[in-house]
Amino acid sequence: MASRAMLVFALCLGPLVGHAFATAVDVYGEASGAGGGPAALAQGLSPLDGIVVPTFGAYAIAAMLLFPFVAIRAVSGEKESGALSLLVQSRARLGTMIVVKFVVLMVAWIVAWVPGAAALAMWRASGGHLYGPEVATVFAGHVMRGALVIALGLAAAAVTDGAASAAVLTLAITLGTWALDFIGQVRGGTAMSLARFTPDSAIRVFEHGELRLDLLLVTAALIAALLAFAVAWLRPARRPRARVGSTIGVVAAAAIACVGAARVNTSWDASEDRRSSFAAADETLLRTIRAPLSVTAHLAPEDPRLADLESGVLRKLRRTLPSVRVEYAARGATGLFEGSAAHYGEVWYRLNGREAMTRSTTVPIVLETIYGLAGLAPPTAAPADAYPGYPHVARIRLIAPIFYVLWPLAVVVFWWTSRHRRRA
Amino acid sequence: MTPRLSVDRLHKRFGEIDALRAATFRVEPGEVLGLLGPNGAGKSTLLACLAGLLLADGGQVLGDGRAIEPDERREMLMYLPDGIAPWPDQTANWILAFWRVMTGAHADGWDVMSDVLGLDELRGRRLGTLSKGERKRVLLGLALSSPQSIVLMDEPFDGLDLRQTRATIAMFRQLARDGRSLVLSIHSMPDAARVCDRLVLLNDGSTIAEGTLPELRERAGLAESADLEDVFLAIA
Repeated sequence: MASRAMLVFALCLGPLVGHAFATAVDVYGEASGAGGGPAALAQGLSPLDGIVVPTFGAYAIAAMLLFPFVAIRAVSGEKESGALSLLVQSRARLGTMIVVKFVVLMVAWIVAWVPGAAALAMWRASGGHLYGPEVATVFAGHVMRGALVIALGLAAAAVTDGAASAAVLTLAITLGTWALDFIGQVRGGTAMSLARFTPDSAIRVFEHGELRLDLLLVTAALIAALLAFAVAWLRPARRPRARVGSTIGVVAAAAIACVGAARVNTSWDASEDRRSSFAAADETLLRTIRAPLSVTAHLAPEDPRLADLESGVLRKLRRTLPSVRVEYAARGATGLFEGSAAHYGEVWYRLNGREAMTRSTTVPIVLETIYGLAGLAPPTAAPADAYPGYPHVARIRLIAPIFYVLWPLAVVVFWWTSRHRRRA
Repeated sequence: MTPRLSVDRLHKRFGEIDALRAATFRVEPGEVLGLLGPNGAGKSTLLACLAGLLLADGGQVLGDGRAIEPDERREMLMYLPDGIAPWPDQTANWILAFWRVMTGAHADGWDVMSDVLGLDELRGRRLGTLSKGERKRVLLGLALSSPQSIVLMDEPFDGLDLRQTRATIAMFRQLARDGRSLVLSIHSMPDAARVCDRLVLLNDGSTIAEGTLPELRERAGLAESADLEDVFLAIA
């Protein structure tokens, strides 16, 4: 943990988090009416969106561009220095060594969250509001992402000749996931289904305060596969055929595990404003529907109405009903040339052998449609506990001294002390 | 007596190049065996294959009469490659302590070994800051503290001064008397003649001769005064 790669990572983290936090506090304050300007509607001011997610966004950059090198050095350094040629002759199993490296790097990743925790503590101390479960959910998403980055770095270092090649490979895979994200949004279909599990897509789910078991399981399966891959490629004196065979075995096992995990439909809405859930009364009534619901959306992937339907309705339906099958029936990507096609813009719902159509993507209309198909009377509108929103103008003067001065100083002192103590 | 280790026609190819062709020799208990040969003879490749770090393309390695697979060899073999600098940011003390934990090494004889290798003065220094000879001393301590009965070393005297070399030779001889087997790949013929009980001469990946110095002299048809360099040149 006292390597130079870790030093650079830790040094950069403080200013990154500090800048993200300072910007978030300023923007949130302006939206709350700082300086006498017009304030946004209070209900629209959520510290999750305005403070937590932007501040923790610094860790997304760190996970993508800085932390992989710390993980890569843990293996490449030993390969290049000859330490690995000694370690494989010790009585420790290679698998155990890789797992220990993974655990140590996870500890380093979690320790790196000190600046993030400090930022949130400063926000609370200034009178700002935080809701524990949703903060913990976003943190869990980033921890999961960090774990995946570590496993990818270890695997890349195992299969390549040096740290530079491993870094290129890791970056190429990261760019590949961005490409998959983009293609999924543009083309829909299988690409979109796969893109749900890319690190960026997964983080967005956690940033909504939703904890999804399928994401956790798929990520765990990928991490296990990457670590097994690292062990297979680090093991000395193996025939190329044996390595390829092990790789195929690992990929097959991971694919089976991921397909199975992706079918798990358990999730928890930890957000304070229940943004991933319907109103409680609607959820209670919807859970009485046991039959599968089929939805056919004649909307192109880039049509903003589809995004509204996904985020406002379909995501919540998948969490509530036991089986929701969605078909995206538009042929094109943008709907530009399909606008005049016969069914474009229609969304069809099928339940219990009956079907109904609506062009609306709003929750009340869609639910009314579904209740009609199920033969259920809509629940009595209970007085809802509306999310109050938390406008807050914070004047936090210590951001610059703490994140731009104190944190880098503490990192340097710790690093120097740990090296000096080893010499004694 | 069954040899502690038997190498039977070990073969290793890198692309078009035969780095090893039918390398054959044995290692007896309690002996120092020297592996000699010119650059490119295959000495380092042979040691790496023996230790299970490289997969041989053919041949067998038998330990106490039984064939041992590459991933089983660490039970009886410890190989110290040449030119490595493991954990350069860690101190010599940390490296040696870490290695003892990783190998379950015993502390018997450690003080004597530490004294011979002069490790006390190097303990608090990071490996990356040591000179070539100082690093070699730490790594020798690491290799010899391992519990395996056979220790393979590539150029063990490289970087050591005359006094250190002689002290290390004496230590190797004592370790052999205590029952360990040492296989040393050595460039320096005078050092090899001084420390080794028997010698294996390698040339172009093949074993061209094996035996004690008198046996090799007789095979080469040379007088008793002939030194190892003369013997090697005559046979190779």
